[in-house]
Amino acid sequence: MRKIFSSRTLVLLMVGFLVVVGLIAGSNWWAKKTNNPPFFQRVVNDLSGGMAKVISVPSNAVGHRANSLANLLNTFSENKELKGKLDGYAQNKVRLQTVEEENESLKKQLGLKKSLTDYETIPAVTISRSPTTWNSQLVIDKGARSGLKKGMPVMGDSGVIGILSEVNTVNAKVALISDTSEDSNRFAITVRSGSGDVNGIVTDYDADKKMLVMGSVPNSANLNKDDTVVTSGLGGKIPSGLLVGKIADVTSDSYGLSKKIYIQPSSDLSKISNVLVAKSSLES
Amino acid sequence: MASWQFFRLNIAFPLILVLLFLLDGNLMASLGNFLLRGSLHAVPMLTLIWFFYAIQFGVMDKMPFYVYVVIIGVLYDIFYTGIFGTYTLSFLGACFVMERLQPYFDSRMMSGLLLFLIGMLVYLAATYFAGKIIGVGHESHLAFFIFLLLPTSVLNLVLAAIFYYPGWSLLQRLG
Repeated sequence: MRKIFSSRTLVLLMVGFLVVVGLIAGSNWWAKKTNNPPFFQRVVNDLSGGMAKVISVPSNAVGHRANSLANLLNTFSENKELKGKLDGYAQNKVRLQTVEEENESLKKQLGLKKSLTDYETIPAVTISRSPTTWNSQLVIDKGARSGLKKGMPVMGDSGVIGILSEVNTVNAKVALISDTSEDSNRFAITVRSGSGDVNGIVTDYDADKKMLVMGSVPNSANLNKDDTVVTSGLGGKIPSGLLVGKIADVTSDSYGLSKKIYIQPSSDLSKISNVLVAKSSLES
Repeated sequence: MASWQFFRLNIAFPLILVLLFLLDGNLMASLGNFLLRGSLHAVPMLTLIWFFYAIQFGVMDKMPFYVYVVIIGVLYDIFYTGIFGTYTLSFLGACFVMERLQPYFDSRMMSGLLLFLIGMLVYLAATYFAGKIIGVGHESHLAFFIFLLLPTSVLNLVLAAIFYYPGWSLLQRLG
């Protein structure tokens, strides 16, 4: 019988396959375990990030122009809608300032210096996005030198978009909440419903529905569609009160023992040019 | 081949390769509105297109082609995913399959694009199954096929067709 591969090639193929699978599984395990990537990886990332930053200038400009052109088409209807909301915003702004002052004064009276809701933001620009099939990661132009640490939450135009998954010296990777790896979207959240707050954690991301999933919610919890979901701050690294999204669907789990909530993320994950990294004051 | 030709190819080819490697990510970031629409997910693969041109236009033998493939695979793994092996394996698999099948295809552009499509399928399948192995790829086979593989294939076939003759002309000058 004619041999397709020689014995030597077969052995090499098998050994090569095992080495590559070992490398993939090992580096994935190492990336989860460690807070700082190895020196070689950090140097390559910083160099590539530097070059990507240069290249991103013209390509981002083209992207901005194209985006502006697309936005121009719905300017009229958007303007009409925004004008309607403007009065409400002015009123809310005044109310927010009053509440903030009151909160500050109450904290002083209680001797509280920093709480879960205190955080500062570090602005950053997206210089690249992984052109890969299964992971959704951004590369931003700030790193350890700007005080960034692995696990910090990252916000887009209107809420949480992900978590820092790798921090190099001058750039960092953001694992988006749409990334299906376990450590990118497992954070503590609170659902603000009409009948009180319900705490829980994001347990999954449904890649087919493009929604976050909050599982194991007691059947007694009264949750409805369009209820707001924010971070709860439990766990320490992620401050409380960052907008995550809104409830899109409330279902039962496969055994009918608890509820399963689908959350529509508030930020548009397809176009993220500028981000804010939230640094909890408790952590610093 | 004269030594100046060897150096010209060995400088220009990897330089363009690195540029395309960075451009893949930049396009994804700056044109996200167009490449990621709803569930559809089109991934630009300019780097793989450049490797395909080197195979199709017969210049791969004039340079350490597979060294470049491994280096780009490792760079992809480090810079874009942080997980070693996945893209190194995918680039190697796609280039190896395209190289082996190339003698069975004629020199017409459509035949070349079919060869590239096969390479692209190997590349996407390898990354998909690598994602499954480490438990980060949760998309169903059907969703992967409809929402990722189809739009990605269309986008990159169009790009490969547009730059086919300019790519041929450039590589002939370099080689």
